[in-house]
Amino acid sequence: MSWILPEGASLDFEGLAAPLQIIRGLGGGTQGQVYEVELEGERLALKWYLPACIARDGGLERRLIASIRATAPNEDFLWPIALLRASPASRPLIRIRQESFGYLMPLRPPAYVGACEHAAGRLAIGLRQVLRACFGLADAFHALHLAGLCYKDVSLGNLFLEPGSGGILICDNDNVAVDGADHGAVLGTPGFMAPEVLLGQTRPGADSDLFSLAVLLFRLLTRHDPLKGQMELAIRCLDEPARRRLCGEDPVFIFDPVDDRNRPDPIEHAAALITWPIYPRPLQALFEQTFCRGMKQPSRRALTGQWKQELARTLDRRALCPACGQENFQASGAPALCWSCGAPLPEPMKLMLPHGSVLAAPDNELHPHHFDALAGEDLRRPLARVVAHPQDPRRLGLRNLSASAWSAETHDGRSQPVQPGESCSLAALARIQSPAGPIAVQRPTRPSPAT
Amino acid sequence: MPFPDVKLANRPLHFLYLCDCSGSMAASGKMQALNQAIRQSLPGMAAVARDNPEARVLVRAVRFADHAAWHIETPTPVDQLEWRDLQAGGITAMGEALKLVAAALQTPPMEVRALPPVLVLISDGQPTDDFAAGLEALLRVPWAQKAVRLAIALGHDADLEVLQRFIGTEPATAGRSPRRPLQASNATSLAQYIQWASTAVVGAASMPASRVSETPLEPAAGNIPLPDLPPTVLDPTDDVGPLVW
Repeated sequence: MSWILPEGASLDFEGLAAPLQIIRGLGGGTQGQVYEVELEGERLALKWYLPACIARDGGLERRLIASIRATAPNEDFLWPIALLRASPASRPLIRIRQESFGYLMPLRPPAYVGACEHAAGRLAIGLRQVLRACFGLADAFHALHLAGLCYKDVSLGNLFLEPGSGGILICDNDNVAVDGADHGAVLGTPGFMAPEVLLGQTRPGADSDLFSLAVLLFRLLTRHDPLKGQMELAIRCLDEPARRRLCGEDPVFIFDPVDDRNRPDPIEHAAALITWPIYPRPLQALFEQTFCRGMKQPSRRALTGQWKQELARTLDRRALCPACGQENFQASGAPALCWSCGAPLPEPMKLMLPHGSVLAAPDNELHPHHFDALAGEDLRRPLARVVAHPQDPRRLGLRNLSASAWSAETHDGRSQPVQPGESCSLAALARIQSPAGPIAVQRPTRPSPAT
Repeated sequence: MPFPDVKLANRPLHFLYLCDCSGSMAASGKMQALNQAIRQSLPGMAAVARDNPEARVLVRAVRFADHAAWHIETPTPVDQLEWRDLQAGGITAMGEALKLVAAALQTPPMEVRALPPVLVLISDGQPTDDFAAGLEALLRVPWAQKAVRLAIALGHDADLEVLQRFIGTEPATAGRSPRRPLQASNATSLAQYIQWASTAVVGAASMPASRVSETPLEPAAGNIPLPDLPPTVLDPTDDVGPLVW
């Protein structure tokens, strides 16, 4: 890579009191190059635009200034911090003749890797983490859309995942604009673009974001593309005109309940056929809503709030197969078989909460929204977590992650305090009184064969 | 528990170098510069291949001098590729090279389904055989018609008209000038063009990049919109100096 900014040099920029040291180049694309930089002891990232990119996109500088003023919708965005232009003294050190600029943003921690690593199957990640990442994505777009903004260019390339926690970071926020107000240059990335944008009928906005968000969620959950089925197999050379037909002119969801022209191929599209049945029906229904009715009617697409609610509920339904240990997401009530090994899943122990219920499986968490109907779904501050006993993993307990003590009540009416950080065994308990609200333990009506 | 062991379905992306190895390439270190440029471009190409799980990038190379022959015959994943140096000597059997590539792009051996292949022709001179017959044979093959065809002219003696016929004529579209052969006048610009072809173009052919409103949304004249050429980076210290062809 030929770096435009000299690595190792200290450069002065207008509006920055201290010089900025260019530590090293991190990467580059058709828009510009990204560097790791240091400003007064703090490591940050700097994106520097190529003049061709600035020339193409007249509103870029205005949008960046507006975004910097508005600040990030939540902490999952690598949001622009400051717009930088070189000072006259540093100008000659920049190795392109044309005038250019860039912006500072937080540096991505090394534990976060590109979402394409997951798509390619190279990332060790669990279903719980993938669902948490999906929730984080829906939550981030929820905050963005509530602020009246739209992202416009959702794709796998703009998302980073932390495989251990399912944390996310969204980068390339330089197309963000007030919904409907600014006709920026970007249209989106084919494969993620809403059909009406791909066909040039409308400009990207919050409604097309909802389509792109659903594509990204589908790709994270299934490692497959929602529009690549039999109709893709019929295409020999997948070039631009072919993509336009497949994703714009005649897009058909591979699991469309009515139109079966584009079903996945059992060999070529095995990923979709294996992963889709894992997810509970209400979550599948949101994809159908977006990719069937919502395909041609942007206002019918599932909203960020619906995704948040259903993804959070899916995590609440998580149970482990007693035979193979794989994660399952059981529909309420109905007896089910493990998607992975086919073993019957026993009826699980449930934690009944004022607002919903959570199955008792290790790592499942209770959040404020389980107790307060007015609190939006949020996974950042869990109040309790189901844990396996260190000596006997079959014995489940509930750890108090809140700042206040609980009172745990046994069946015979005795009660015992559970201090913050302590865990209580669920086997003997009838209910727990917590400052957030009561937690009732509901045992299976029929004993399971495994316990 | 791990996510199910499934991978995104992918398609092969065939990337073919057609390298002029005639005697004139021995002059002023051009052959060495080309070998270096390709070798240096491989890590970046491997990174692009990694970032595009929808594509399986496979590289081959043809050399042509007195005759055309495969330099790398087996389509090789880019991360497994070792570039052996090409040697200069002989005349310029470019037409024969095109025929060799034409045969390779027939189905079979080409897969039934693939991404558009990328063909990169690099030459410093004029064909000494029947170029027209070679080009005709190539363009009869559907995969060659669909291919992204690029040409790099090394130095001032390259036959630009022949290279233009190889890439085809694409009329100017909104905001873009008509496509021309890339003219590398020194080792630095050669390395930049090779890097561009093996990264930006491979990226565009495998997974589409962000679109800006200027990109024609109507079915384009070319079947893959080509990314911007690299900007001219001024760096006297990095320049290899006396190598001016």
